[in-house]
Amino acid sequence: MAGWKAMIFKLAFKNILGYGWRSLINVFIIALVLIGLIWMEGMWFSWLNLAKTQSTQWEFGGGLLRVKSYDPYDVFALEHSHAPIPAQAGNLVASGEIVPVLFSPAVIYPGGRMQNAVVKGIPSQQSLLRFPSQALMPTEANPYPAIVGKTMAKSAQLQEGDAFTIRVKDSSGAFNAVDLQISQIMDCPVPSLDQGTVWMDLQALQDLKQLPGMATTLALRDQSLASVASPEFKLIPPNEFFADLNQMVKTKASGQASLFVMMIFLAMLAIFDTQALAIFKRRREIGMLSALGMTKARIILLFTTEGALYMLGATVLTAVMGFPLFWYFARIGFSLPKGYDSFGVAGFNEALKFVYPLPLILFTLMLMFLLTVFVSWLPARKIARLMPTEALRGK
Amino acid sequence: MNKQIVQIKAMSKAFPTGEGEFLALKDINLSFESGEFSGIVGPSGSGKTTLLNIIGSLDVQSGGEVCVLGHQVKELSARESAALRSQKIGFIFQTYNLLPVYTVFENVEFPLLLLKMTKAEREQAVLKALDWLGLSDKQKSRPAQLSGGQCQRVAIARAMVKNPALVLADEPTANLDTENSLHILDSMQKLNRELGTTFIFSTHDQKVINYLRRVIRLVDGRVESDDLQAGV
Repeated sequence: MAGWKAMIFKLAFKNILGYGWRSLINVFIIALVLIGLIWMEGMWFSWLNLAKTQSTQWEFGGGLLRVKSYDPYDVFALEHSHAPIPAQAGNLVASGEIVPVLFSPAVIYPGGRMQNAVVKGIPSQQSLLRFPSQALMPTEANPYPAIVGKTMAKSAQLQEGDAFTIRVKDSSGAFNAVDLQISQIMDCPVPSLDQGTVWMDLQALQDLKQLPGMATTLALRDQSLASVASPEFKLIPPNEFFADLNQMVKTKASGQASLFVMMIFLAMLAIFDTQALAIFKRRREIGMLSALGMTKARIILLFTTEGALYMLGATVLTAVMGFPLFWYFARIGFSLPKGYDSFGVAGFNEALKFVYPLPLILFTLMLMFLLTVFVSWLPARKIARLMPTEALRGK
Repeated sequence: MNKQIVQIKAMSKAFPTGEGEFLALKDINLSFESGEFSGIVGPSGSGKTTLLNIIGSLDVQSGGEVCVLGHQVKELSARESAALRSQKIGFIFQTYNLLPVYTVFENVEFPLLLLKMTKAEREQAVLKALDWLGLSDKQKSRPAQLSGGQCQRVAIARAMVKNPALVLADEPTANLDTENSLHILDSMQKLNRELGTTFIFSTHDQKVINYLRRVIRLVDGRVESDDLQAGV
């Protein structure tokens, strides 16, 4: 480093030390803001990650084919949202590489009450999805086993072993009914698989609906299997499948952004105030530096370097102060209070163990660094308008 | 014959005021040769510091010509005048203006950092300057740990360390007691005699005036007299 650059750095560093408590408070405030930002970024990132992982494991698999007529936002389209499982997929379905699922609107009668539901049929022998479909294997004691999630069980007042009637409209328009018996109440992290949904064996549902060989979705082990799709099916890309989740995170995150901006604003205000005050108090010094031959650009650089050093100190303090907090949330995790799992979004039913997105954290640090330098530069540029003679007189 | 290092011709300086402008310096014609030990004296408000600031290229005149070390002050850009100050002019201020967070050594080294000098060259020059001013044992002290006289000696060392052609001292003894003032003046006189450095003072302190070989008296922004002092 050239002599004058080292001198500016050294002088800036010593000035910051010389400010004592004021410097420490500035560094502390920036560090608190950084800890808050990193914590929140970690939370959003980890939650989105967990929700996507759970949805992938339970529903999406390595890729998803869905009948084109299915519209997740149109309940009336559900009755006709099915198509024949493509002939090329036959072997892959048998080997468990593809899991067909059939959807149908239904009416259930738990305890004599009538309730609308969606019934979904899934092969009981599948192991591609984490879904506990083995519990749908018919037995002598329970020829029509069914699974419901905890939320559905609560809303329909169902318990394991309870039997209830389910009625669906078959392909000819006639209503068919069968008595199902709850074989398992599952703890499902993906609300769309739980709320208002009854699960039964695919074959049994196809028989009930008189829709042999039909399915609404085909979960694939990997996306390369999408080549088996017939014209009735379309491949759902992950960004479309997770669109709602991404949108929700975006909405929540933009709400948080105002808090971020406020926190950053307060930190920057502290830096600006300190630098403005320093320039006011150090007019003679500025005049002297000018008299000794320091150019205005270098004097501005000195004050800007002081601001940058605050950020550097804050980054170190963030690492020291934030480490226990970051470690705790990464190892022990963050459990949401009970009730959040009925929020309608995946990722709320288990402790959220934080993963810290390095690129995002680096971006945040860079942004904070640039902002700190900017608010230090703002009062410093006034030096450019200060005559050395006036500065020397303390004006 | 000594070389002229400052030439001032028909120079004036006006400051804007609410009602118009205030003429702080009027029709100044002066020249200074290298090796001079001169002073601009006069009561407060007579324009001494303004004149010194213009000679030091910290300010520019409103009219006339000022040529310092071959440079027309008015034609210098901010960067050029900064370069002129850093390379050839040393300043000594009434209030010392030392950097409080730096040690004595670092304060004296500071002007050299603005020049292209190696660390070894800087160290040699600083130690020599401190030795000249009798501050070798204080090089690690900070300004707050020094007396007023010692602080001013550090300021002189800082002005002298780059071996400037011209040193401008603005009321250098105003904050010092008699003993320290005389000590400081002795130091500067010694530097002038042994190194040939030109000193121009701005003062109204009789102790300083007694040391000056040339006294330029300013009254209301005009040169009233310009005399050589016999026996100094």
